Amino acid sequence: MTIRRRLTLWYAGILILSLFLMGIGTYQEISEQLRHDHRKRPEGHALDEAGEMIFRVGLPAVALGLLGGWWLTRRSLVPVTRLTAAIKKIHERNLHEPLARTRNGDELDQLTKVFNDTLLRLDDAFNRIREFTLHASHELKTPLTVLRGETETALREDALSSAERERAASQLDELRRLTRIVDGLTLLAKADAGQIALKLEPLRLDELVRDNFADAQILAEPHGLRVELSDCEAISVSGDRHRLRQLLLNLADNAVKYNQPHGVVMMSLLKSGDMAQFTIVNNGAGISADIMPRVFDRFFRGNSAHENTIEGCGLGLSIAQWIVSAHHGTIQIDSMPSKLTTVTVRLPLDLAVQAA
Amino acid sequence: MRVLVIEDEKKTASFVRKALQAESFAVDVVANGEDALLAAGGTPFDAIVLDIMLPGRDGLSVLRQLRERKNSTPVLLLSARGEVNERVEGLNAGADDYLPKPFELAELVARVRALTRRGSENKSIALRVADLTLDTVTHKARRGGADIELTVREYRLLEFFMRSAGRLCGRMMILEKVWDYDFDPGTNLVDVYVRRLREKIDANFEPKLLHTVRGSGYVLKEAP
Repeated sequence: MTIRRRLTLWYAGILILSLFLMGIGTYQEISEQLRHDHRKRPEGHALDEAGEMIFRVGLPAVALGLLGGWWLTRRSLVPVTRLTAAIKKIHERNLHEPLARTRNGDELDQLTKVFNDTLLRLDDAFNRIREFTLHASHELKTPLTVLRGETETALREDALSSAERERAASQLDELRRLTRIVDGLTLLAKADAGQIALKLEPLRLDELVRDNFADAQILAEPHGLRVELSDCEAISVSGDRHRLRQLLLNLADNAVKYNQPHGVVMMSLLKSGDMAQFTIVNNGAGISADIMPRVFDRFFRGNSAHENTIEGCGLGLSIAQWIVSAHHGTIQIDSMPSKLTTVTVRLPLDLAVQAA
Repeated sequence: MRVLVIEDEKKTASFVRKALQAESFAVDVVANGEDALLAAGGTPFDAIVLDIMLPGRDGLSVLRQLRERKNSTPVLLLSARGEVNERVEGLNAGADDYLPKPFELAELVARVRALTRRGSENKSIALRVADLTLDTVTHKARRGGADIELTVREYRLLEFFMRSAGRLCGRMMILEKVWDYDFDPGTNLVDVYVRRLREKIDANFEPKLLHTVRGSGYVLKEAP
């Protein structure tokens, strides 16, 4: 029940109660007067007169009071409605934008002020976390450079025994993996901090998809997978070539890595309304419903990824999601475990580019 | 061949120096921008390896100053910032190549070597390594009298290997030149393509030409 309805009901209750008390008072007054002046008149007449008075004067007064109450509560709650609408629009990116204040010093204005202060503190905390991640990923780079360089230098020494060489090579593999993680982390931290500007240019999405299809076929070959490109409509979008290629390769790589032996990868590119729709389907183990909400989370890896020790840095889908949203598109995964897993990317068609 | 390395991080400077010296480059190392400008003003170098993040005057400013002084020595920029747009910014400032940290040493050496050879690159139309030939106009590859069918990507990969025959080609360098990727895709794309290419140009022939350098990359050459 809304505050408005509740207040109006209370208001109505009070009005009716006071009307009732007024009726009793009037009735007693009238009957007292009648008894005093005209002793012959019957009793019932006083009741009639009181009832008539209540109907004639009281009910309109109650109705007016109710309407007035309804209007009054609405009027006093308008700022709350406005506040609710404003708060609804808050997310982690616009914490620094304060809510508009009336500055009339009333309770709601005070509430807005306190809320704005809270927002500022939250914004500060978010920024500090972002900066921390960014600094951490930068700070890791220098020691990583040294470690990689020295391990590589060690590998070049002729005097190395084969066991030592094996160990150094394995360390180098892990360092390479660590580098990929740090690179991915840097990219996402920069994206969070709004430090990456996309280099938008008109480009043919179908050419990128065909290119990606060729790479996917090669990636799939050692696993005995079949890769198909069912539709590939000529579609122009405005986008960042490198980032979109990174996105497509990332999705193709996932479809190959998380597939079953002799499985299938199917791609298609179609126009769907005012969006370009790229889908890539695989028939691997799929993603169960309970972990689906977390697949885009950073460093989240499903059970199959752990069991099969599939190599990956755990940031691929987070990066894919960032690339898509930076292009004002959407990415969605639907999975029927052990049957088909479909990744759908929708990117807005750039009409200006289409016409050109 | 003489290379100037401008890097303030001592350990990094040390293994870069060692690696370049192992490839018989003469190496001078300085740790800040002012010394770098002094050194570059006095000695002619064949290439410069320049870290962007330096104490005091930063790498980009050193680079601009060099170009202003009409010094056209090829410059390889190193950067730990990993800005997506930094490569473009660096190339606009007059750099010849860009390598984000952490890099592979072999990658760095390969790039420095490529810089010092710039201009003397093999520009011929018909490329040849042992009995393997590649016509860059018709995109036809032949070995041992047999035609070899290549896809577009395989052709570009082979052309890249043949133009840098005898030199180590790092994975990042291959991804950049053959795929035009400015990111590490984290896949074994290069290795899978090389395996396929090997099946076509090496499997049925002797001697093997395409060699793997463990942990570093590939090299196309006649002798192992």
